[in-house]
Amino acid sequence: MKLAYFGLPALLIIVSCTSRNRGHPAGSETGPAASIVDTGAGNPYAPVDLSPMDMSYFPVNYSQRKMAHEIATPPVMRVIYSRPHKQGREIFGKLLKYGEPWRLGANEASEIEFFRNASIQGRKVSAGKYVIYCIPYENKWTIILNNDIYTWGLKIDSTKDVMHFDVPLQKAPIDFEYFTMVFQTITGGADLVMAWSDTEARLPINF
Amino acid sequence: MKRLAVAFVLIICATLCKAQENNLPPLDKSPMDMSYYPNNYPVLKIQDKVTEPLLARVIYSRPQKSGRIIFGDLVEYGQVWRLGANEATEIEFFQNVKIDGKKVAKGRYTLYAIPNADNWTIILNKDVDTWGAFKYDAQKDVLRTTVPVQKLTDPVEALAMTFEKSEAGCNLVIAWDNVETSLSISTK
Repeated sequence: MKLAYFGLPALLIIVSCTSRNRGHPAGSETGPAASIVDTGAGNPYAPVDLSPMDMSYFPVNYSQRKMAHEIATPPVMRVIYSRPHKQGREIFGKLLKYGEPWRLGANEASEIEFFRNASIQGRKVSAGKYVIYCIPYENKWTIILNNDIYTWGLKIDSTKDVMHFDVPLQKAPIDFEYFTMVFQTITGGADLVMAWSDTEARLPINF
Repeated sequence: MKRLAVAFVLIICATLCKAQENNLPPLDKSPMDMSYYPNNYPVLKIQDKVTEPLLARVIYSRPQKSGRIIFGDLVEYGQVWRLGANEATEIEFFQNVKIDGKKVAKGRYTLYAIPNADNWTIILNKDVDTWGAFKYDAQKDVLRTTVPVQKLTDPVEALAMTFEKSEAGCNLVIAWDNVETSLSISTK
């Protein structure tokens, strides 16, 4: 009886968590989920994702600043991505293999939208939505913009790649549990900062 | 015995939550989510199972009930509510549609609601990329429509939005706590 009381809730948590991994094969970055509190259990409409979605704008905190009447101009760009967590795993070179595409997130493919034309590494990027993904290497990441939007991250059609950009890596200021993408203002534009675990990469974007 | 078991689970949950909080930067308390119509469009797409064109997508944050009474209490009746949390809830139509007989051009809109006990007014507003409903501007409304509410016997913990197929196109189904409502979107 004791076992039933203790075992059943534990089993429910494990089962409901693993069921969050919609269509993820083993080894995807959502990984084993037994340690996650599942707030979506029993939600018949849409369970809460294990790797929740998030959104970052440039200008930084655009929507709050717009609300506070600090900004009257339109936003410049935003990124929408899901946030896998590390959960004690070794991420780069292990969970994510060097030289293989990584979706820079989880679940739906990560999306970057430029609300006006931009310039990256001296090349023009037209306004619009793109899938953004990455090929991580030990010493650099290749960041790729792709036209196959509204897709799922595990199967990105590389024939629709628009541009590749190599960026150097640096040690992250902290050990990032959750994959994080934010913009940081630089002269003439913004860095798209991408950080997870002990690794950080920055893609400078100019306007 | 039952109480002990529940307490045991709660302690585990609390410990895990705390462990997550120690790792910066934190996740949003009300995590963001996205729903497409056709449902699961991105998954269908990579499986080559898409049978109808992309129609709509909603991006919203998901506050949780956390033991509170939501409608008529936390969310007051008769007041504009942001239908989510954090960034304003956004609906994008990929085709021109009709709602309540009115034409809505394809594009992005902010969604708001005015909940009442028996019905909700759903608002489409063109002031996108904003935060919550704190600076809601009725002059930027594209349309308002009133829909009935249904009571649910099993409360929904996290605000949920999903689409279901309808004869005319699809319905945006919104559910939280013990309330469910549905906005009909027509492609005809």
